[in-house]
Parts: sequence; structure tokens; C-alpha cells
Amino acid sequence: MRRFATLGLCALMGLASGSRFVAAHHSTTMFDHAKTMTIRGVVLELRWVNPHVSLLVKGVVDGEQTEQEDWLMEMTSPGNLVRAGGWSRNAVKAGDRVVVEFSPLRDTSSRGGALKKITLVETGQTFTANLRAQEMPGLE
Amino acid sequence: MSDRSSAHFLVLLAGLLIFPAAARPAEPLPAAAKKPPTVINPPPTAQDWADLAKLPDWSGVWNPKVTDQDAQAKTNPPPWNEKAAAQAAKMAAEEKAGRPPPIFVNCLPEAMPSWMLVTHNAMEILFTPGRVTMLGESDGNRLRRIYTDGRSHPEEELTFHGHSIGHWEGDMLVVDTVNVLPQSYIAISEAIGVPNNGDMRITERIHLAAPDILHDDLEIVAPKILTAPWKTTRIFFRQRARKFDIIEGVCLQGNYSERVDESGDHVFVEIERHPWGNIVAPKR
Repeated sequence: MRRFATLGLCALMGLASGSRFVAAHHSTTMFDHAKTMTIRGVVLELRWVNPHVSLLVKGVVDGEQTEQEDWLMEMTSPGNLVRAGGWSRNAVKAGDRVVVEFSPLRDTSSRGGALKKITLVETGQTFTANLRAQEMPGLE
Repeated sequence: MSDRSSAHFLVLLAGLLIFPAAARPAEPLPAAAKKPPTVINPPPTAQDWADLAKLPDWSGVWNPKVTDQDAQAKTNPPPWNEKAAAQAAKMAAEEKAGRPPPIFVNCLPEAMPSWMLVTHNAMEILFTPGRVTMLGESDGNRLRRIYTDGRSHPEEELTFHGHSIGHWEGDMLVVDTVNVLPQSYIAISEAIGVPNNGDMRITERIHLAAPDILHDDLEIVAPKILTAPWKTTRIFFRQRARKFDIIEGVCLQGNYSERVDESGDHVFVEIERHPWGNIVAPKR
């Protein structure tokens, strides 16, 4: 069962062996930052790693669909999220019910986006992901 | 003389005929062939440690002003030569069209001078006797060493961050960097940059512009791609909250997910990535 679950999540996260592409610091213009979409659902996984944190959420996109689907969100680095968006490693975890605002991929054949804001339904807490929202000294 | 002794004698005689020097006493080697003396990094003295206290306080975590990086890409572009300008223009068009050129997606260091120019990550600066060390959060906690012990640059030994020597002019650290790999980009964003192609020299004047704002005034000479020295200032903000301490930043970790395999072992599993760097998302 555990193996099944692992393989299922691997498929959702686009895991592949022998992938020839690797990723580090990359521009985000593959996302359409002029658009904002909203998905309401449940967190399946948060990958809290440099250089880009990612979030897999299963839910329904406002005005786009009626069935639950898996969407992959990308963000900036852990350090930037902590400074700029009030995150911590455990701020969001698998199983949390969330509302996520995001800018979708320009390639509309894939369910991916750049996360802009996430709200935890249970607590109302919000976390943002604007890299440029930390440009002052002495942040608290 | 036995047959065995005769054989030994003949072997020795043949050896002396072939290698006559072996028969002479050792002569001193000419001066040029002498092994140079080993240069020692002397242990710091109490005075060396005390002198560090006289330097300006650059402790804390420094995060870059990315909006200024963005602005300077338009307001203060490098004086590219014709070929480099065409390359940069093409990359800018691709990025604007949503196809960002993946110049840093291979997880190699952003290198000098791009680390200082376009990083989105924070760094720490450490003072110890004889050197200043910069530690970044990404690329395996990238590292720059700036030697302040009076040494000169070595013979060419090319590296991503080159060889940096520095000295203090009052509260300003003046750094001279050479020997950067020619593949290292002069980048103005994470998607626009041109390899320096060699012979680059970078001068930096790093100083506090305000109590918690650090400026790095760079002058970059890159005769293979620039028509004149390029001057630019990069800005960093100091943070002291402990929760902002830089963390381990292993770039390649971003290419893997943590999983438990069928044996119950915790393993990394590679993620499929798009050539532009983003993770391949589920298909609609």
C-alpha cells in the first residue's frame, strides 16, 4: 500500500528516472503573471528545498472545473519565503485544506502555476510568495 | 669469484656505463631546479584577532534588492559589444515571450560576477584573519574567499569565482578578482547573460551605505564581450532575526523528491523538469 501511494505521488509530481533536465535558478516567465487563478483543495505535498519550494495540491479551480485535479505550484526559495512571506518549514503540510491563488503556466495544457498566496482554511492564516517583498533591513 | 658474484659485478658495471652519474657523488642541484620554499599560512596571533574588531560590522544575513537588479537590467545594461548585445537582446525577447533561457538551470554556480549581480538568495560575510569569506544560501552554499593577507594573484588557475584579493581602505573593502572561468556569465537576470569569454577583471568596493544597507560597487572589465568597463552597484539588506539565518542550500536537491522505497529506505527520486527549469506539472 505504501509503495502504491509512493508511486502514485511520484506520478503526480512528475517524477522520472533519468530525466535529462535539471533545474536551479530559473526565471519565472513561463508563468503568466498577469493572470490569477484560485484553487480550493487539500495539500498533498510540500517540498521545502532550495532553490525552489513546490506544493502539490488537489482541488477545484474556481470557474475552470468541477472535478478535483492535482495542481503543482512553484515558489521561490525557503529563505525568501521565510523573509518575504512569513513561511516556516511547517507552515503548510500535507492534509491541510487550503485556498491557493496562483499565476498559471502559459502552457495551458499543464496544471501548474506560480503560487502567489495560500490561505489555511482551518486558521485563516495566509502566506505569500513575493520574492521582492523583503527589501528592507531589520525584518521581523 | 662465484658465478653469482660475477653476474652481480657485470650488472653493476653495465649500470655504471649506462648511468655514469650514479658513480659520482651527488652534486648540488642548480638554483633554478631547487624546490621553492613552502609558503606557510601563519597561525593568527592575538593581535590578528583583535584587529578584526576594528573592521566594520558586517555580521547578520544580507538579502539582495532584487527590484534594483530588475531595474538596472533596463536602465544600466552592460556596454555589450555588437555580438553580445545581439545575444542579450535575443535572450530578453525569449524571456519576455515566456521561454526563459535556462542559463543557470544546470546547478553550476552562478559564479562571478553574476552571484553579486543577480542572486535572489541571501549571504553571510565572515571575517577571519587574512581573509573575508562570503557564504551564499544556494549552489551548495556557494563560497567566495577574498584574501586580505597581502598575497598576490597566482598563476592562471581558472575557477567559477576566480581569485580575489582585497584590502581595506577605511571601512571599505576593495577587491580585485581575476582568473574567472570564461564560461561564467555576465548576467543581468536569471535568463539573460553572456559568457565573459576570458580575460575578465572585476573590481569591487564593498561598504555600508547605511547602518544596515551594504553596497557592492562593481567595475567589470571583460574585453571579449564589453566595449568599456561596466559600473554597477548592487544593494543588500541586513537581517538579524534568527529565523532568517541562511540554511543549507544544495541546488541539486531541488531536482529530487524525498520518498520511501519498497524496502522502507528513505531515498531521493529524480523529478522530471522542463528545459526552462520548472517542474513538469500534471497534464490537463
